[in-house]
Amino acid sequence: MAASSENTSVGDSVPKINDDLAVGSDLEFQRRWWKFENVTWWLFAVIVLMDILGCFGRGPLANAKVQTPDGTMKIKYERIERLSTPSLITIEFGGSAIKDEKLQLLVSESLVKRLGNQRVVPQPAVSRLGDSKIMYTFPANRLPASVQFSLEPSEVGISHLTLQVPGADEAKLTIFVMP
Amino acid sequence: MHTVVCVFVEYFILLLTVRILSRRPGAQLTPFEFVIVFLVGGVVILATVGDDRSMTNCFCGIIAVALLHRTVADLRLRFPRFGAFVDGTPLVLIDQGKWQDETMNRMRLQDVDVMASARTKGIKSLEEIEYAVLERNGAISVIKRKEN
Repeated sequence: MAASSENTSVGDSVPKINDDLAVGSDLEFQRRWWKFENVTWWLFAVIVLMDILGCFGRGPLANAKVQTPDGTMKIKYERIERLSTPSLITIEFGGSAIKDEKLQLLVSESLVKRLGNQRVVPQPAVSRLGDSKIMYTFPANRLPASVQFSLEPSEVGISHLTLQVPGADEAKLTIFVMP
Repeated sequence: MHTVVCVFVEYFILLLTVRILSRRPGAQLTPFEFVIVFLVGGVVILATVGDDRSMTNCFCGIIAVALLHRTVADLRLRFPRFGAFVDGTPLVLIDQGKWQDETMNRMRLQDVDVMASARTKGIKSLEEIEYAVLERNGAISVIKRKEN
């Protein structure tokens, strides 16, 4: 890199205006630049607006609610997350979610591997792994009941998350993690 | 790895933003422009460093910035068009005593900005100015009219 710049000869190449003052201005280039500037400012405005709306996460459009057809689960989550940024998935249980004073929830491993689950509230009595899924068992006696997962996504891109109370309908969530 | 990738991406985003933001980031820094330097710096540092506060990360981040800066400086020298993209070109604000309205308006400059520069050269009024040029670094150079 250094050699090429050292070998370049320096000459009197700066164009003059009015054959008088060596300025080297290029108004044509500048006019094209001003047009580019205008387009960029509009682009910046659109990006800020999209951000406020939540197109890149953390806004109204990013928040989502889904309910299983049998009404066992109502899930509040963010369909657009951001890498290494905390967020919550809240699951409210209804219907016949509680059996034998226990509430069981089967979730796909992506909850931990891609979405970086940090904490479950309340803490489950038992967590069991197997078949690329995790089964959480919570002591419970009466509805309504809710469980919250604190996430901190660790991988950029689309993540598929499934949640199911055994024997009930499954909820499939698609979450996009922004870089 | 994360820091180095962030440095590369953010360097060019920041370069574009500062380049289209204003021609006066360093030369005539008013409090109005001072705010931007600190605020942008603060916002960028959080995403760049992330949660890795190690000396290794700090060292790699610094040399990545230095390497990138050196590469851009070299490209600027080799390709004048790239240089014009990165630095812009000098712009004539007063040509033979006449205001260049298009340039003044587009660069969001006022006559007081030019006169502020003129006063540093002992020039008292507009009539004494032959040329005023907005330089690539944002400074305004003023050439005094030749006395007959």
